[in-house]
Amino acid sequence: MKPIIETQHLSKWYGNVLGLSDVTLEIEPGITGILGPNGAGKSTFLKLITGQIKPNIGTCSIKGKRIWNNYPLFSFIGFCPEQDAFFDELTGWQFVTGLLRLHHYSSAEREDKAQKALEIVELVEDKDRVIKSYSRGMRQRLKFAQAIAHDPEIIVLDEPLNGLDPLGRRKIIRLIKSYKGEGRTIMVSSHVLPEIEAMTKRIILIHQGKIFAQGDIHYIRDLIETHPHIISIKCSDPRRLASNFIQEEFVLNVKFSSAEKTLLVETNNRDKFFSLIPSLSVKNNIEVEEITSPDDNLQAVFDYLVGK
Amino acid sequence: MSIEVNDIHFNYGKIKALDGVNLDLSQGAIGLLGPNGAGKSTLIRIMLGFLSPDRGEGRILGYDIKTEQEEIRRYVGYMPEDDCFIPELDAVSFTSYLGELSGMPRQEAMKRAHEALYYVGLEESRYRKVETYSGGMKQRLKLAQAIVHDPRLIFLDEPTSGLDPQGRTEILDLIMDISSKKDIQVLISSHILPDIELTCSYVVILNKGKLAAQGEISKLKEIRDLYELKIKGEAQGFLRKLEEMKCRLEETEDGLLKVYTPPGYNRQEFFRIAAEENVQLRHFVKSQSSLEDLFADAVGVD
Amino acid sequence: MTIKEKGYAHWDGEFLDKKFPWWPITRYGIKLTFRKKFFKLVFPMSLLPAVVFLAGIYVSERLEDFKFMFRDSVPFLQIDPAYFKTYLAESFMIFIMLITVIFCGAGLISDDLKHNALQLYFSRPLKKRDYFLGKTAVIVFFLFILTLVPGLIFIIMKLIFSGSFKFFLSYPWLPLSVIAYSVLVTAFFSFYTLFISSLSKNRRYVAILIFGIYVSSDIFRAIFYENFHNHYFSLLSISSNIQQVGAAIFNQKTPHPIHWILSLLVLTAICVLAWFVLKKKVRGVEIVK
Repeated sequence: MKPIIETQHLSKWYGNVLGLSDVTLEIEPGITGILGPNGAGKSTFLKLITGQIKPNIGTCSIKGKRIWNNYPLFSFIGFCPEQDAFFDELTGWQFVTGLLRLHHYSSAEREDKAQKALEIVELVEDKDRVIKSYSRGMRQRLKFAQAIAHDPEIIVLDEPLNGLDPLGRRKIIRLIKSYKGEGRTIMVSSHVLPEIEAMTKRIILIHQGKIFAQGDIHYIRDLIETHPHIISIKCSDPRRLASNFIQEEFVLNVKFSSAEKTLLVETNNRDKFFSLIPSLSVKNNIEVEEITSPDDNLQAVFDYLVGK
Repeated sequence: MSIEVNDIHFNYGKIKALDGVNLDLSQGAIGLLGPNGAGKSTLIRIMLGFLSPDRGEGRILGYDIKTEQEEIRRYVGYMPEDDCFIPELDAVSFTSYLGELSGMPRQEAMKRAHEALYYVGLEESRYRKVETYSGGMKQRLKLAQAIVHDPRLIFLDEPTSGLDPQGRTEILDLIMDISSKKDIQVLISSHILPDIELTCSYVVILNKGKLAAQGEISKLKEIRDLYELKIKGEAQGFLRKLEEMKCRLEETEDGLLKVYTPPGYNRQEFFRIAAEENVQLRHFVKSQSSLEDLFADAVGVD
Repeated sequence: MTIKEKGYAHWDGEFLDKKFPWWPITRYGIKLTFRKKFFKLVFPMSLLPAVVFLAGIYVSERLEDFKFMFRDSVPFLQIDPAYFKTYLAESFMIFIMLITVIFCGAGLISDDLKHNALQLYFSRPLKKRDYFLGKTAVIVFFLFILTLVPGLIFIIMKLIFSGSFKFFLSYPWLPLSVIAYSVLVTAFFSFYTLFISSLSKNRRYVAILIFGIYVSSDIFRAIFYENFHNHYFSLLSISSNIQQVGAAIFNQKTPHPIHWILSLLVLTAICVLAWFVLKKKVRGVEIVK
C-alpha cells in the first residue's frame, strides 16, 4: 500500500523543551494507534502531521505534498484535539456549521454535512443548545463530529474517548473501525491500551520525543528479545506437565502461579515449546483448559519498551 | 454487611436520579458501572451521607445512612474524581490535616500521613507543595488522603482518569493491593471497563437510576460452547479434522480462530488433533462474553 | 525478630472523640495566614496603636512625673470609656481590622471553591456547621488580638498602674462593653468576609471586593450626605454603622444624630444575608454534578 503520510527527520522544540526528535516514518491507510506516556511528544507529533505547527527540522508530507503552509491539503484532514476548548456561547449546530464554512461549502452542503455528522454522534436532539450546557461526554462527541463533518480522508483523533462513558466509548470505537473499511487513514491516540487494541493492531509508540516502536503489536513483541515470552497454561496437573519439559533448554523458568492449577513458563523459543505441548498433553493424559500469553499484548509491549 | 441499601429514591427537582436501588454487598472490590446520568455519583453521595435519600433506607458498615452520616464518614475513605487539594500546603501537611479532620490525634495523623505517602509512592516529593504536582501525582495524593485514616470502605471515583498507561497500572496495582486485604472493601466507579475487569471481582451496573445487573464478574460472563484459538503451522489438516468432528469454524481479521463445538465435544480432541497434525496451539481459551458486552446488554443497547 | 510486610498496612491507633472537630481547620487557617510574607510585616504594625494606647494609660497614672512637660492639664489623657472607644471604635481601628481580615479571610472559602476542596472536607466526619466554625475562628483569632485582648489588657493595666479599684468602681460595666463590642464587630467582620469569600473562586477578587465594598460604602455615604444633608445616609456606610454602635456600647455620644439601633439593624441584616448566601454557596458545590 502506498503511504499517505511521510515524515523525514521531523523534529520540534519549544524553546529548550523537546517536543519531537528525528522522526522518520511512513503511515499507510488504516487505523494506527499512537501511544506513549504523558509529555512524550504524541500531541506534538499529531500537530506536526496536521500542519498546525512548523517543524524545526525535517519535513512532513501528505499524499506526497508538504503539509506546512499548504492550506488546500487541510480539507483532507479532520482533527479532534485533546483539549476541551470550545466557543462556549455557540450552539452545537453553529459550531459544526461554522467550522464547515471555513472549508468553503455552500450553505446547503453545510447543513447537510453538519446534520450527518451530528446524527453519527447522536447529538441531533441537542444541536440547538449552547455548548456551555453540554456534559463532558457530549462535548467530546461534538469535537468528534467536527473532525468528521467534512468527510476527510485522514482523521486524526487525540484522546477521542476521554470523558466518555462505556457506551460512548463503544460507539466511537465501532465508528472508528467502520472508517477503516472505507480506505481512510485514521490516527488515534489513547492512554487506555486495551481500547487501542480493540481498534487496531498497528501502533506507533512515542517516548522521549522519539519513535520507540512502529508496526504490528505482536511483531513488535517478538522483536523484544530481552524479555523471554511468558506462557500461561491452565491444566489438570500442572506439576506433572512441567516435569515433562523441565529439562528442555528453551524453558528458562517455570512458576506455579497462585491462581488455581496454573503454570507460568518462560521460554526463548516459543515454536519449540508450543510444538511440544499438544503431544505432551495427549501422551500424559493431562487435560489442558487454557493456553494464553499474558505478555503478548499492548500493555506488556508498552511496559517493556518504556520501562518502569 | 458493609453496604446495605434498600429502595433508595432520590430526585433533583423533577429529575429522577435514583429510582429504587437495592444493594447488599459484603466483600472484595466492587465495580460500579453505568452510563452518564445513571445515578452513580448520586448513589456514592448518598452512601457517604452527603445527601439524604428521598425514600428508602440503608446501612454502611452498620451505620444508618440517614442518621449516622458522620460515623460513616469516619470509617469510609473517598477519592473524588476531579482535581482537589488545599493550596499552600505540602503533601504531608495536607494528608495529615485531612487525617485530623477524620478524628485522628494530631501526632498519629502526621505519622500515618508519611506512611500513606510512602505507600502511594510519593515519598520523594512529600514536602513539595501540592500545587506543583503533576496530574499523576495529584491522583496518588488523592488516594493517600483517602487511606490516611485507615478506612474500612473506600469509594474511588474514576481513579485512573487522565493518567497515562504507566500511571494507570501503578494506581491499579495499589488498588488491588488494598482490596486484597480482607478487612477493607473497595468500591470503584469508572468508565474504563478494562480497569474494572482487572481490579474487581463483583460489579453493579446502574442504568437510569435503577439496578440493571449485579453479580460476580466471572459468573456473569456467560461461558459458551465456543473456543478461541491461535494456531501456527500447517493449518489445513487441523482445520479439516475439526470440521469432520462437526465443529463450526470462523476466522477473525486479527488471526483468531473461533471454534463452535458440537454438544458432547471433549476439548482434549483439540490437542490430539494438534499433536497428529503437528500444529502449535498458541492461544486456547474457552470464550466468555466480555464485560463490555455484559454492560451493553444490561443497559439495553446493542 | 520482625519484618515489615510489604503492601498496605493498617493504622493501629484510635480515633479521638473530639469536642471541637473544627479545630484543625482553624489551626491550619492561622498557620497559613502567618506564612504570607506581607502579613508578617503588616500584622505587628497593626498592633502599634495598642502599644501607644497602653503607653497612654501608663502616662495617665504618672501625670505628676510628666507635668513639667506641659503647662496646662492634659485633657486627652483622661482614662474613661471614651478612651476605650477611641481605640476600639474609631475609623482607623476599623480600617486595620479590614486589612487584617483581607489577609486572613479572603481565601478561606474561595480557595476551597477554586480547588474543589469542599468534598475533601465533607467526606470527613464534619458537619457544615463545623466547617463554618473552623473558618470563622480564624478570623475571630486575629480580630480578638486587635480588639478584645488589648481592651482587657488596658483595664487590667489601668488597675495595676493605679494600684486601686477606683477605676473599676467608676465604670463597672466597662469590661462588659469591651467584650460586647469586640464580639459584635468580630461577628460582623466574620460574616462579611466569609460571605464575600464564598462569592468568587479567586482570592484576589475577594480581597478587592472586601476592600471595595467597605470603602465605596463610605464614599456613597459622603456623596449623599454632601448633597442632601440627611444624617440617615450614614446608614449606608459600614464604618459609620460600626462607629454608631460602638459609641452606644461605650455609652458615648454617637457620631451621627440618629438612633444607633438602626445601625445595629443594618449590620445584623448584612449578617443574615451573608448567612443565607453562605449556606447556599457551600451546599451548591456538594450537590452539583
